[in-house]
Amino acid sequence: MIQVSRRRFIKNAGGAGIALWLGINVRGTTIITTNIVESGNFTPYILVESGGGITIFNTKPEMGQGTFQSIPAIIAEEFEVSLEQVSIKNTNGEKPFGNRQRAGGSSSIRTNYTDLRKVGASAKEVFIKAASARWQVEAYDCYAENGKVIHKPTDRTFAYGELVADASKLELPKEPKLKDPKDFKILGKMAKRPDVPLKTNGSVQFGIDVQVPGMLYATVARSPVIGGTMKSFDASEAMKIPGVEKVVPVERIMGRYHSVGVAVIANSYWTALKARKTLKIEWDNKGYENFNTEEYEKHLHELSNEEGLIDKNIGSVDSLNLPLANTIEAFYETPMVAHHTLEPMNCVAQVRGDQVEIWTSTQVPSSITGNGENDVHKYIGFTPDNIKLHSTFIGGGLGRRLNVDYVIEAVGIAKNVSQPVKVVWSREDTTELGPYRPMTFSQLKGGFSEEGKLISFQHKVISPSFQEAMTPGFDIKKVDGTMVEGIGEQAYEIPNLKTSYVRADFHVPVAAWRSVTSSTLAFCHECFIDELAHKANKDPMNFRLELLSKPSDLKRVLLKTRDFSRWDDPLPKNRGRGMAQWEFFAGLCAQVVEVTVQPDHSIKVDKVFAVIDLGEVVNPDNVKNQVEGAVVMALGAAIKPGITIKDGKCMQHNFYDSPLIRIHEVPEVEVLILAEGGKVKGVGEPGLPAFAPALANAIFAVTGNRIRKMPFDLKKV
Amino acid sequence: MKQHSENNSGRFLFLKTIFVMTVVFSTIWMASAFRNRNDFSGNMKNRNKTAKDSIASVKAFMKVYKVLMSPRCMNCHPAGDAPLQGDDNHIHTMNVVRGSDGTGMYAAKCSNCHQPTNVPGLHTPPGNPKWQLPPANMKMVFQGRSPRQLALQIMNYNLNGHRNKTQLLEHSKDTLVKAAWNMGEGRTPPPMSYTAFVSVWNEWINKGGYAPK
Amino acid sequence: MISLNVNQKTYQVDVDPNMPLLWVIRDIIGLTGTKYGCGVAQCGACTVHLNGEAVRSCVTKVSRAGGQKIVTIEGLSENNDHPAQLAWQQIDVPQCGYCHSGQLMSAAVLLRENPNPTDEDIDEAMSGNICRCGTYLRIRKAIHIAAEIQKTKNNTGQIKNAVSRVEI
Repeated sequence: MIQVSRRRFIKNAGGAGIALWLGINVRGTTIITTNIVESGNFTPYILVESGGGITIFNTKPEMGQGTFQSIPAIIAEEFEVSLEQVSIKNTNGEKPFGNRQRAGGSSSIRTNYTDLRKVGASAKEVFIKAASARWQVEAYDCYAENGKVIHKPTDRTFAYGELVADASKLELPKEPKLKDPKDFKILGKMAKRPDVPLKTNGSVQFGIDVQVPGMLYATVARSPVIGGTMKSFDASEAMKIPGVEKVVPVERIMGRYHSVGVAVIANSYWTALKARKTLKIEWDNKGYENFNTEEYEKHLHELSNEEGLIDKNIGSVDSLNLPLANTIEAFYETPMVAHHTLEPMNCVAQVRGDQVEIWTSTQVPSSITGNGENDVHKYIGFTPDNIKLHSTFIGGGLGRRLNVDYVIEAVGIAKNVSQPVKVVWSREDTTELGPYRPMTFSQLKGGFSEEGKLISFQHKVISPSFQEAMTPGFDIKKVDGTMVEGIGEQAYEIPNLKTSYVRADFHVPVAAWRSVTSSTLAFCHECFIDELAHKANKDPMNFRLELLSKPSDLKRVLLKTRDFSRWDDPLPKNRGRGMAQWEFFAGLCAQVVEVTVQPDHSIKVDKVFAVIDLGEVVNPDNVKNQVEGAVVMALGAAIKPGITIKDGKCMQHNFYDSPLIRIHEVPEVEVLILAEGGKVKGVGEPGLPAFAPALANAIFAVTGNRIRKMPFDLKKV
Repeated sequence: MKQHSENNSGRFLFLKTIFVMTVVFSTIWMASAFRNRNDFSGNMKNRNKTAKDSIASVKAFMKVYKVLMSPRCMNCHPAGDAPLQGDDNHIHTMNVVRGSDGTGMYAAKCSNCHQPTNVPGLHTPPGNPKWQLPPANMKMVFQGRSPRQLALQIMNYNLNGHRNKTQLLEHSKDTLVKAAWNMGEGRTPPPMSYTAFVSVWNEWINKGGYAPK
Repeated sequence: MISLNVNQKTYQVDVDPNMPLLWVIRDIIGLTGTKYGCGVAQCGACTVHLNGEAVRSCVTKVSRAGGQKIVTIEGLSENNDHPAQLAWQQIDVPQCGYCHSGQLMSAAVLLRENPNPTDEDIDEAMSGNICRCGTYLRIRKAIHIAAEIQKTKNNTGQIKNAVSRVEI
């Protein structure tokens, strides 16, 4: 990708005539400029060169979620170009592209949909205006199509490239006219993703594939006891191995976690790995060697007796004094899990004087090059202006690559040599050191009126805190909203609702994992709703719908789900179905899972019906792919062992003891996309949370066994 | 990197163990030349100095049985068509299956992961040039067999890979049988040494190849 | 010096004979389409064809591959048009794409040995390849499509089998 600088721009202009950048500024109004550097707070999305080239920039790193197609598609739709005729380029955290070059929270489309349409529409209008002026005709007699302006009465045309000089002198319209969705050519249609052919012949470049001339390789021995740090090391054996260049201490920093490990720098990764095995390192384990998750989980149970911090308290839960027979109570548990991105953590860094160049797979290019308080510059000793990033395609983000610990560490290693260094984490490193999705425990209580109406609901979450982990200085006397994500905001109409949070101290690094805390809380919340339905002797679907008298997205989604899944059709005796939904910051999806009890009493997951509510849809086929994948990831987290710690060390190391779902375990998935206008919702995460509770509820429906703990073994439920 | 090896070794014993034993036995049996078809009583007798002794033979077999039922042997002689793994004899992950010739199927053939030699490290695939299960038409199942059933099966020409007495005796020297004692890091070896095994194996057969009651 | 034949080109590499083939292919020869995922033959991301078989290069010593015929994803076809590649493209199988070099190399062996694979055959062939994005349903569908493409292409002779098996 080009480095956006004035010099580069002029060179560009010199080579291909002049070029025009069109984009959006921080206030959301569209801007036109021929000078990217002097444009101020401006995020360019389109580059039109007088030679004819059109480039659309994707500021949202592609990690499999489809932004490489979906971001340009929104712009291209309004700009009247086809994706085949434009170059798409991922941005690299360059300052002109702004501080929102990051992908997380399923936010890429839902927070940019209208703005990006405006960018495209403004750009189109300015080219139409330029053409009409050149022809001296009325603008309304012209239209744009396939990167050209056409004068309707005479069929004369100008390609956008031919109009660059004229267009650059014009003001962009502030409120461009957006297309009527019925005229969409790209949006809402099945579209091929342009990155796919690169991914079928090995030509796509992930961070781990970067090759820089003269590059060295490094591996880091980090304290096997999580929280421990290096006290001293002896590298004399390692230094005897031919090819080993240097062995140096290096710090890993992630949020409030700091630890020092020992890096081996060598002429090949294999040599570095061999040498690492010979290191003699004394660790300072700071007492963490006595830590066990088994005991910690007992501690979480004890903490459930505490009142905790109130998140929401609607009505008067505490003073209802319902008769015991009208109430039920349950305790739910979920495990830590690892991200297991298939591309292990890695980063190439080269230090030259006060400059550093970085090549890596990251969800947050802006945090690597930015000047924010917790951005990378703060930890590596280079000013943001002197950090140059090459952001590659990502072999799985899943929240893990929102963290930049591996980048900070790689720069720390590269400072010791003049050559570029590629640091690669082994699968074991990637599994054993965190961060993990934290476990959450939930205490739930529900109460019915004498008439059998659900009138009281309490959900108390007991868990470590994300914000405390990742945000230095976070006030632990406040509720960490991430840890009670969604539980106080479900659309169910329950007059007395209380949600609360009990914080548990934790030294193990924790981080967002696709769908964040919703991936555990939905399990607890929606299984308990199922318990309440059972207590009320009602069908789980009807029970929920009865709690939704007013119009809402959820009500609409559940009604669709009932039809789509043929909820009311009877199933044979050995089969059952369960349902769940989850509405949270990222979006809304409801699922019905069908299971069969096999002759050996194990459970087979047959089929999943997923209804995802989007408001607007960019690429329906990609949405389906995302939901199918989300179901698989949720299935793994529901039925495969989680992460446990004994004697301070992670007990899982690789896929043999922290297994992932394989092809023979996958159920059929049918996806229904709702794009009926309204709030634009996310795609990447919402397919996860509803799956596990829907599965557990299906198992209850057919076996009568209530599952209150993840993971659960389908052979033994 | 390998800090888990001290604390966790033996917890997850996977491919290596099971496969080694299976392959050893199956390969040896299959590979033997079929010279004498019905020789357990007649032809071999004169050449054999050891007299028949049903008590000693059965006693020896019970030791043999312990080896054959150890994960290192049994895991590749499963009752079903999937190999087993680990000291707990769980079904091999990755949904691998026997295939008609015992070498696996398609992109999941034994030798795609199992190398001619062991791969260093814990939890890596154990290696042997012949790695395989018994073929589909001669499954030579150990799993679930009682001592009597297994002894009779091994002595049955039509169930043992068409091996006569000589070939059975030779079989203990097969590289895949030996591989059971080269099980790779972190796997529990068979319950006696290889030499001891050969000795009881020979004793069992030479003293008449009797099956326990 | 070990002589390696990779994608019909010969390379002389001066490396530790115990070095896994994966790292030789990636770091020495510089073909990065073959991926590192686990290092212990669990995930299949490193799958290459060794004499036509879908071996896991992360546990294959380079010495085993010396003088043998190696095909990596870069050599599966000349124009990204192996039936499996075409099928993968037809229904947009990959998400992040990291595992798909290995998935395709495994699928190619399946399609060669079984031109009409059932779902069960696909599960047996492909369970050694992990996809963290969970694109398994599409992998299964694409293999069925590839089987159809393969029949058409074989009939018209447009695509030569890029993974012809070599007997050792």
